[in-house]
Formats: sequence, structure tokens, C-alpha cells
Amino acid sequence: MARDAACTPVDDLASLQRALAAALVMQPPEAACVDPFAGDPGRARRRLRLYRGNVQANARKALRNAYPVCAAIVGDAYFDALADVYAASTPSTSGDLNEYGDRLAAFLSGFPPAREVPYLPDVAQLEWSVHRAHYAADVPAFDIATLAAISADAYASLRVALHPACTLMDSKWPVARIWNAHRDESGAPEDVDPDAGGERAIVYRPHFRVEVCALDAADYAFLDAAAFGGTMAEAFAAALRTDPAFTLDAKLPDWVGRRIVVGLA
Amino acid sequence: MNDTPARSAREWSGVGIGLRAPHYRDFLTASPAVDWVEVHSENFLGDGGFDLHVLEDVRARYPVALHGVGLSLAAGPGLDDQGRFERHLSRIAALARRIEPALVSEHLSFGALDARHFNDLLPIPYTREALGHVVSRVARAQEALGRPLVVENVSSYLAFRASEMSELEFLAALAATTGCGVLLDVNNLYVNAFNHGFDAKSELERFPHLPVREIHLAGHAAADDTLIDDHGARVAQDVWSLYEDALRLHGPVPTLVEWDTNIPALDVLVGEADGARCRMHARG
Repeated sequence: MARDAACTPVDDLASLQRALAAALVMQPPEAACVDPFAGDPGRARRRLRLYRGNVQANARKALRNAYPVCAAIVGDAYFDALADVYAASTPSTSGDLNEYGDRLAAFLSGFPPAREVPYLPDVAQLEWSVHRAHYAADVPAFDIATLAAISADAYASLRVALHPACTLMDSKWPVARIWNAHRDESGAPEDVDPDAGGERAIVYRPHFRVEVCALDAADYAFLDAAAFGGTMAEAFAAALRTDPAFTLDAKLPDWVGRRIVVGLA
Repeated sequence: MNDTPARSAREWSGVGIGLRAPHYRDFLTASPAVDWVEVHSENFLGDGGFDLHVLEDVRARYPVALHGVGLSLAAGPGLDDQGRFERHLSRIAALARRIEPALVSEHLSFGALDARHFNDLLPIPYTREALGHVVSRVARAQEALGRPLVVENVSSYLAFRASEMSELEFLAALAATTGCGVLLDVNNLYVNAFNHGFDAKSELERFPHLPVREIHLAGHAAADDTLIDDHGARVAQDVWSLYEDALRLHGPVPTLVEWDTNIPALDVLVGEADGARCRMHARG
């Protein structure tokens, strides 16, 4: 095979690494320049394919690890094909593969073939929150008894701290039901009607296992205000605008128990 | 937990296994008969959560080695984004402060180019010019970690025509200049000898003074004219022989058995570790 002068003009480290990287992504694969590599060019091409296979397999595996419900919804073969298209436009940028895949929901929204499953982008958005929740910091349990010492005036100006694993999501699809039906092995995903109406969902991590549940409008309004740094009074007002009968009495101990609320300060 | 004797790195010896998620439960509910464990650092870069909980629980009972796969240590000048390199290093350093590992290792390879990360261990040309650049990357890593880095020979399917020396020669020079240690992956050496046509045993014997701080063992697979380092089988007989040569040259260096593809029941892995320990004691 003739030496391709444009392929590796110089033999310095960076140029040779760029040549290998270019060969890894070349389409079609047969067009890759294998001139920098020792030995038979045919063998070098076959071995280049091993690296291409590794890169593809690593990206697919990472994406499937972050999005198990999306993969279950569309099937593994379809999801792998989706992963390849995603990787071509949005490759990994980090040495930590747990950070890979953060833009899948946005990608799916603009990907016409995925429109057959219109709720897929929202499920993907929820799953990314779940994925990140696995790695969120651990926070000590909050002792709700400390509230007894706080005066009513001071109480109103306290800020509600949510656990760093928490994410709130207002979807026009029943995302919490869809997610839970796939997560629980005894669940029946086919029994969930995606057109049954939207849900306001919360992702939270009571201990090490991440959970997702639906919230009513007033609870969502309260926690959403809290998530944006609102005071107790502001969060309460937001909840009352949604439901004039809203009361925190039973809610707060429940949220503290589930490690959704981890502090008031 | 911080003061238990198991946390002393000086007691680090014998044979360990790579701790992977399918065996978390085994290690949480019992203390399997291995001398130490190694983990892939990148699986524990989060702020908290279950993986770190498992690692800290295990760390209270075993010495732990941190093995990196994502630093792109041997990326050439202008290739890797400096901010990414520094961020990754600082995350590894934070994990090392938290875990107090017996050692921190990375591969003699690159994976990152411009904005992209291939998340693979890609080979480099072994040239004097490359050595100069890798020396500075290793020096920076050691500065950030506050301890010597241990650098591993990688398995490779492609070799660059431009190479002026062998991988072990490159590692020996890198160690001599930076003070880094060497993680000798005996399976990788065997696989590379086959793939690139050299004799593994004589190559090993050329470098009796290589500062080997750890040895890796794993299984490989064959595909046509190439051996693939898939960590998906028992250690091959020829690799055991090469391991015995390594023990003869370098003494009873802490040894790890890795298994990453088709991970078997823990017993199988512990059995492989026992096989390594027998050979280590027979040579000791």
C-alpha cells in the first residue's frame, strides 16, 4: 500500500495520536489510514476494528447503564442503534463514563424516529436525574425535634434544604408510574397507559436506593419553591396558591423520613 | 474506622482481586479470603451513594488499590484539554484522600482528544519525544496526588512504526526520570508479545530492575491472529509461567487477579487468587 503523505506528516506523539483517533472514527472504516501502524496493513485494519468495537461497546454499555427504562421501552437492539447515533453527535467528553449521556433527553426530542414513543424524552430526563441521584452526596438525617425550639416568627424565614439527590420534574406523561412499572420486577409496564395524564414526579434517595414518586400539585409547589431556595413562608404560599387547604403537619415528618427534606436553617 | 490496622498500606501484600459490582453483596455480607482488593477509580468519583459506601465498608477490612482507566495519562501536547486533565486528577486525588489506598495506578495510554473522550486505553508510540511529554504528565499527576503514581503496561492490538523502544523500556525510563512505580500486567505483556511478535520472557528478563510495585493477572481471548485482553476467562497456562518468571525476577510483589467480562461467581475468582498465592509462596 502506498504511503499516504497526508495521513501522518510527522511522527511526533500528538500527530500519531491524532492519526489513530482519526482512524477510529473514519467512515467508512475501510477508508481509515493505517500507515502509522507496524505490520501488514490488512491486519492493522482488522485490529483497528477491534478498537472501534471497544469504543462503541463502552459507550453503549454506559448509556444503557444510565437509561435502563428507556432501553426496556424501545428494546435493546433499538437502544444500541440509538446509542450509536447519539455517540456520533454527542460523544463522551469525560474520563468518568458515569457522566456520559447527560444530553440524551434533548437529543431524543429532536430525533424524528423516536417520535413513535412520544414520552421517551421525558422518561430519559427522569432517568438522568435517577442516575445522578445514585452519586449524590450523603447527608446526615435531620432531627425534626429541633424544630420545637424554633419560634413561629423564625420558622417562617427558615430555608428548606432538599437532599442533593432530589430532582423535581413536571411532565405531561405519567413518568413516575412508567419508571416504577419497569423498575419493580413484579410490575407490568404494559398496564401503564402513557396517555393517562401527566405527573409531577420527585426523584429522591432515602438511603442508597433511588426512588421516584408522584406528588400532588401543592406538595410539588412547596418542594419546588424550596428547591429554588425559597423560605418556609414562600414555599407555603406557593403550595396554598395551588391548594388553599394545604397543611404541612403530616407532610414535613414524612419528607424528613424519606430524606427529601434534610434541613431547615 | 480510620484507625483500624487494616488501613495501614505497609501491610499490603499477597494476592487481591478486582472488586466489581456483581460481588458487592459478597463483600458486604462476609469477608472473602483475599488479601486486598482493587477497584477502578472512575466507578467511585461521585460525591456519595452506594458505590462509595461499599468501598468504604470494604476499606475498613482490606487494603485497597485505586486503578484508573480515564486519566488519558499519555496524551500528547495540545491533545487533551488541560482543564479536563486537572479536573480528573483532582477527583482521583480527592478519592485517594478519602480511601487512603495502598497505591494509585493508571495506564501508559491515552483516551482523550480535544473535546472527545474515547474511554478506551489507546496505545502510544514509544519514542524519546513521547517520553518527554509523558514524563511531564506523570510528574504533574504525582504532584496532584502527593504520592508516586504507578503506571501499567497496556495490552495493544496496534503498534506504531515510529516506536524507538519497547513499552517496558519506555516504562523503565519513565520510572527512572519521574520516580513512578510500574504495574506489570503479565497478561498484557503476553498478549502484546503474541500480537506484535516478540518473546515475552526475554523482554521481561531484559528489565530485572524495573520498579514493579504491583502485578496484574487476567484471562484473554483469541480472535484469528490477535489475542484480546478481555479479562473474561481464567488465567492462561502460559501467563502463569510468565508470572512465575516475574516472581523470580521481582520477588513476591502484590498481585491482582482481574475479571471484567462474563464475571463469574466470587469463588472462581478467589480460586484464581489462590493459584497466584501458591506460586508466590513457592517462589518466596
